[in-house]
Order: sequence, then C-alpha cells, then structure tokens
Amino acid sequence: MLEYWTAILTEATIFGVLALGIDMIWGWAGDFDLSAYAYFALGVYMTIIMTVGKAKAPVEYVLGWHLPYLLAVVIAVTVVVAFASIIGAIALRNLRDVYFSITTLGAVWAIYYGVENFTPLFNGYNGVFGLFDPMGGNLSYNAYHYYFFAFCLLVLFLVYLLVQRLSRSPFGRMVRAVRDDERAAAVYGRNVFWTKYRTYLFGAGLAGLSGGLFAAYIGAFNPLDWRPTEIFVLYAAILVGGRGNPRGVVLGSFIVYVGFVEMTRYIPSPAARPELGPALRQILIGLLIILMLKFRPSGLIPERLGTDGTRVRQSWRTWFSRSKILPDPRQDEVAAESASGVES
Amino acid sequence: MSAAALLEIEGLSKSFGGVVAVDNCTMSIHEGSVVGLIGPNGAGKSSVIDLVSGFEQPASGSVRFAGVNVVGKRPDQISRMGMIRTFQTPREWRDLSVIDNVRVGRSDLERESLWRSLTSARRLRRQDALDTAELRELMEHYRLDDIRNDRAVGLSGGQKRLLEFARIAAAKPRLTILDEPMGGVNPVLGERIGEAIRELKKAGSTVVVVEHNLPFIEKTCDEVIVMDLGSVIAQGRFDELRDNRRVVDAYLGNDDE
Amino acid sequence: MSILWISVGMGLAVAAILALSSVAFTLEYAVSRVVNLAHGEVLTIGAYAAYVSETNFHQNLYVCAVIATVAGSLTGMGLNFGLIERFRNQKPLSTLIATLGASLILQNLLLIGFGGASVSYQFAQGSLLHVGPFLWTTLTIKVMVSAVVVAGLIYVLLQRTRLGKALRAVSQNRELAQVSGIPARRVVMQTWAVAGAVSGFAGFLYGETIGTITPTIGNGFLLLSITAAVGGGLGRPYATLGGAVVLGLVMSIAGTYTSSAYQLVIAFGFLVVMLLIKPNGLFVRGRALTVRA
Repeated sequence: MLEYWTAILTEATIFGVLALGIDMIWGWAGDFDLSAYAYFALGVYMTIIMTVGKAKAPVEYVLGWHLPYLLAVVIAVTVVVAFASIIGAIALRNLRDVYFSITTLGAVWAIYYGVENFTPLFNGYNGVFGLFDPMGGNLSYNAYHYYFFAFCLLVLFLVYLLVQRLSRSPFGRMVRAVRDDERAAAVYGRNVFWTKYRTYLFGAGLAGLSGGLFAAYIGAFNPLDWRPTEIFVLYAAILVGGRGNPRGVVLGSFIVYVGFVEMTRYIPSPAARPELGPALRQILIGLLIILMLKFRPSGLIPERLGTDGTRVRQSWRTWFSRSKILPDPRQDEVAAESASGVES
Repeated sequence: MSAAALLEIEGLSKSFGGVVAVDNCTMSIHEGSVVGLIGPNGAGKSSVIDLVSGFEQPASGSVRFAGVNVVGKRPDQISRMGMIRTFQTPREWRDLSVIDNVRVGRSDLERESLWRSLTSARRLRRQDALDTAELRELMEHYRLDDIRNDRAVGLSGGQKRLLEFARIAAAKPRLTILDEPMGGVNPVLGERIGEAIRELKKAGSTVVVVEHNLPFIEKTCDEVIVMDLGSVIAQGRFDELRDNRRVVDAYLGNDDE
Repeated sequence: MSILWISVGMGLAVAAILALSSVAFTLEYAVSRVVNLAHGEVLTIGAYAAYVSETNFHQNLYVCAVIATVAGSLTGMGLNFGLIERFRNQKPLSTLIATLGASLILQNLLLIGFGGASVSYQFAQGSLLHVGPFLWTTLTIKVMVSAVVVAGLIYVLLQRTRLGKALRAVSQNRELAQVSGIPARRVVMQTWAVAGAVSGFAGFLYGETIGTITPTIGNGFLLLSITAAVGGGLGRPYATLGGAVVLGLVMSIAGTYTSSAYQLVIAFGFLVVMLLIKPNGLFVRGRALTVRA
C-alpha cells in the first residue's frame, strides 16, 4: 500500500512540475499551447538515451551516452528549450489566440508521427528503455523509490519557489499585462513577442525538467506513453487548482492525479475490456475541463491580484463572487456607452 | 512657434484594400503644445495615429519623432522613445488590479528583466513598495484610490478613462496622443478630462487630441489641425479656422455637431 | 511518371473527402466563430454509425451512407446545443478548449462502445479502372462522385436557399442579423445540422476509403481539415474547398516520394508555410487575422 501511494504521489509530483511550466505559458501569457507534451516527451527521451549507453541492434537511437543522471537532465532541458525556441518562434511571431493553438496542435501531431515513424531517432514505435539508477545503485528497490519520491518533492518545491518568485515579480506582472491586452502593453513599451517568447521557453524548460524526472521514474518510454491528448489532464489540473496561481496549480495537480487515479481504481475493468478504466478517466477529464471553464474558470485558488499590500487576504465572499464570468468588455464596440462618471 | 517640432510628418500615405486612408499627409507638432486633430469621419485621423505609433506601416512618407525617423520601428520601440497613445475605447489590463495597471504604466523596464526578477526579487519588490506612496497620490488625484486593489475589469467606463490618464501621468511621456478621449463620456467627466489634459501639458508632455467635440477642442487646444480625405487642409488657432472656407465646407458645415 | 499520376488520382479521392470535412468545419466557424476541435469525432461517429448498420443489420452502401449522415447531423446539433451555445459569450479560446474537452469525451465513449481494435466495412471494392492517366476502383469513383455531388448541394444551399442567405448574414454579424429579423439561433442550429450531416457522410467515405476505422481516426483527419480550412481561408466555404484540393494534391505528391506515414508531418509543414506567408488563407483577400504589436 505504501509503495502504491509512493508511486502515485511521485507521478503527481512530476506532473506538478510540468503543470507549473504549462501554466506559465497558458495562465500567465494566455497562449493555449498544445505542444508542451512533446517537450515533456523530448525531455524523457533525451534523458534516457544520454544515460543508458549505446543502442544494441535491433534497437536504434541517437547519442547513446553514459552520462551521470543530473548532467543528462541539464543537457535534456537545454535541448528541449532549443527545440521549443523554433516552434515558439513560428507560433508566436504573428499568431495569437486560436491560431496559436492550431499551430501548436499541428506541431505536436507532426512531432508525434515523426518520432513514431522515424526509427533512427528514438527507436520509433517501440521506444527506448534501459534501467538506470540516479542514486548510484546502492539502495534496495523500495528504499530507492522512497528516496526518489523525496527527490521529486524537493525538485517540485524548488521549482515552485522559483515560479512563485517570478509570478510575483515585475516580470510576472508584465507578462500578465501582455496577456490581457498586448496592444496596450506595446503602447507602454513592452516587446510583446519577446515577453511571450521568454515565458514560452521558460515553461518549455520546466516541461523538459519534468521529463527528466519522469525518465528516471518510468525507465522505458514509447509513443504510447505520450499520446498528445494526455496534456488535457494537465489543463484539467490547472483549471481545478487555479490558472495563473502557482500554489493553485500544484494543488490542482495533486487533486487531479491522486483523485482520479483513486476514483478510477474502483471502476471494474474486466480483462476483456482493459480500455474501460482509462477511457472513463479521460471522459471525466473532459467533463472536468468543460465544467470548470463554464462555472469556475478561475479555479479553487484564483490568480493573485497584485495589491499595494493593504488588503492581502481575499474574503470568502469574494471567493464566491469571483466564480461568475465577467464578459469581455472589448467585445462590444461601444463599451464606454455606460460611462456613468466617477461617483461610484 | 518658437519651439522645435517634436513630431514631423511628411508626405505620409497609406491605403487599406484599395481605399486611400492617408494621402500625402504633412504636419508638424511643436514641443509643449496641445494640438487638436479634427476632421469628418473617415478623414484619416485614426490612421495617422496608427502610422505614427507603429501599429501600421506607411506606403510612403516619413515620420520623425524627436528628430529620429520612426518608420519601420515597432510600437514598443517608438513608445520607449517617449510616445504614448490611447485607443478609441479605453484599454485596461483587465485582470490586473487598478494599482498594478498604473504600476505597469510607471515601472521602468529594467525592473522587469527576467534575470533580475529571479535573482533579486526581494529588492525589486522593495523598489515597487517605494513607488506606492507616489502612485497612491496619483490615484487619489484621479479618484481611483478607493478602488486601487480591485480588478480593472470591473471598473465603470468613466473610471477606465481616468485610469488611462493616471497610467499616462505615471509614464511621463514626451508626446501623448489621445484618440477620442471624450467618446461616451458625460459632461461632468468631460470637465475632468480637460483638466487632465492641461495637467499633462504642465507636466511637460506635448498632447495631440483627436476629437469630434469642437467646444472641447476650442477650450483645450492651443492649435488645431484639420484633416479631410487623408490630408491636412488647414492648421492654426481655432478662431482663425472658423473663417476658413475649406474647413467649413469639409467639416463644420457638413457636420451635425 | 505513371506512379505520380496514380498517387495524384488517390490524392483526388482523399481531397474530395477532405473537401467535405473541411467545408463543414469552416461552416461551423462561420456561424459560431468557434474552432471546433471535436470535429474529428463527428466524422468518426458517422463512420461507426455506418459500421453498426452494415454489420448488424446488413444494410447496403446507400442506406449506410444515409445513416452516417443522420448520425453526424444529430451529433452536430448536440454539440451546438450542449456546448457551443453555452459558451457563446466567452472568448473564442475558452470555446476552443471546451471543444477539446468534448472531443476527449466523444472519443472515449466510442472507445468504450466499440473497443480500441480497428473495424472495417465489407463493401465490394469493385473493379480497377483506368481513367485517363489515373487508376481508380469503381468504389473510389463512387466516393469522388458523391463528394462532388454533396459539394454541389452545399453550393446550392449557400447560394439559392433562404438558409444560405441567412447563414451568410449570421456569419457576417450575428447580432445585426438578429436585429434584422433573422432567427439567428435557429440558423446557427440548422447550420450545425448541415455541417454535422456533411461531416458524418465524409466520415463514412473516409472509413470506406482507408478501410480501417478506430476511435482515433478523427485526430489526424481533424488536423487535415483544419489545415485545409486555414490554408484556404477559415470561415469561407469556397476558399476552404480550394485549400482542401491543394492540400490533398500536395500530400499525395509529397507522399509518393516519402513514406505515407509522414502525411501529417507534411500537412503541418503546409500549415506553417501558409500561416507564415499568407495567414489569411490562399484564396482570401482582405482583413488580416494576424496581429502586429
């Protein structure tokens, strides 16, 4: 039982890092990115092939080094960021909103089918595998998993501190200003592309890092492990926890991962229908996304409002009132029609 | 005019989908003045603003701001040279608090470096806190102090206009271009906006106002530029232009205002 | 040279189906301003509906086609009523995300209903035919002819009927159309019914042409439909039609020289090139969809 919980919580922790990265791109910068799961996968692939050594036929993949784990993760993150810099440059230069999403959707499927069919890269459909032990191999099987969980928790905590610090910094404020109205942000001297691009690369880097952690956790990786649709679980986590709020995102990751794994554990999955459990899980994820978007788009812990410090705590009353959706004022052309003056 | 020209537009042209919006337009704005830019609907006033601020690229002609040619520069580059413009509807950053809206207007860009935000977050926050007193004074002035910690999206139309002025005042630009600041504004607030424009001038900014409300222009502006069919047809003091035949034909005579 | 002609011939068949699917996608965008990422699932539902009627009730080709069409139409209306209209006042991006959720739900419902293994129709392929330089089966020809007929029906619908006129008005400006006495809600619903029907039919033709149906065939075809629609001109039925033909030909010609497994990679390359050099679409002049700031 303890091993079981360790496994689930380790997974939730790793995906917490990924969710923090995706939230920077979507929550802060407002770009609904669908290729982030490919960055995560690239992080996993790179970490594995840089630590398990040369490929033995019929398995084939590039590099095949024997690097120490941490060094491999650092290089993997660098590669992921370099790769994201190409996709990001294409998708962010002139495209916004749904066009950005369409481009990244196209990108992720192109990458997916490319990796699946081009075997010299990451062994195609069969994927890469190999056992490697970040701890140096002097621990028992169970102890290793506990230590690795502790290691993941530490990484998540450090990443959280970093992201939270950035979120509350002037940089985080600027990113959100660009998200809310990029023309107005440009009028006040902000370089819209560069702002979004840096945020995108930072988020992609976190996706790569979570991939590096996942590589050590799973030890084998093939295209079935990273169907691009899996990213919806992360968006569900972000929506539940609170888009744009690092604390909420971490909370949401744990709620969705632990909650959903637990819930689907009790769904009977007959041997003849192995797909039933996962399919129900996906349906619940889809429902969760739609319902959260409709009824409480700001999540359990809404994005923190930057104040002058005199009123930091939100009262419970505002918690409820926040759940109603305010219409976008720019959608009606004569928004200033009801200028009732300054008395209110 | 004795002062040097802050903004010089020469031979500016632009058409959208075959329709000529700006046609060989030439004008110069002098430092320290409040200039009204008027003309009938479709005269090309807003297009000129878009071309000057870098949101559109001209087909031909030049725009010199503070002696530098800005054609081909991005809007944010032009803004960093000291030019702030507004749009016809107020554009606030809806999910930022009111004080953060003004803060982004005020804040120097150095402070927003990604690297410094990571390494010296505490110092940056202290710097932010030092600004608070100054910002609160500013917001008091624009009657926004009570709602400074509210989300900007919930503000009324009038409050959004005032927020825009507070933001400009915090940014301290050399040139401010206001695109119809009186659109949908009631008379009481109109008074306040006129005052805000005079305050901008006093703070050292040159102001260009695009407006249909002629009494407002007469009261607020030192000088008026009249546009019609994409080019300037007259420039001078308001009372001089009252007798200008072309102006009357093009605008004053045909307009129901 | 002859291989090229044969693959162009196959490309025409795929392009014909793609044209129907992407026109349906573009019609949905035109009236609801929504990029419907659950569009692929409407096709899949059409394909499965035909499969059910064929295997369980031994229906012939034409009855199956009708059943696929009806199933697609019902799905389209259901999506509009249950989801799109509920998100009407929200930003386009929120609606897009919601349709992604719907796509996930529908796809996995199909997975539960039919399992993950692939199924196929048992219709006779007919004989091989040389038509000019092309090599087709009689079934492929039927597919293409029916696609052209449906495209013609869409043309008639758009140009000659009251619904077509109302549809164009609503796609220009829904509020204005409403004020001018056009029942916008009903027009949108009818458009979704038509778009769903066309999608369901296209799904049937697609299942017919590729021979295997799985709950996930919609993913790839959605991407191709989006590429065709954006490449040609999103929200413009005729421009989209052109985009689909161009994309179908590009993919089949490129596919001759590389592996067909890279079809989607090629489509993505096409999408990127289109978005970079002509973001409004190949066949559209006018308002820019990109931003400059």
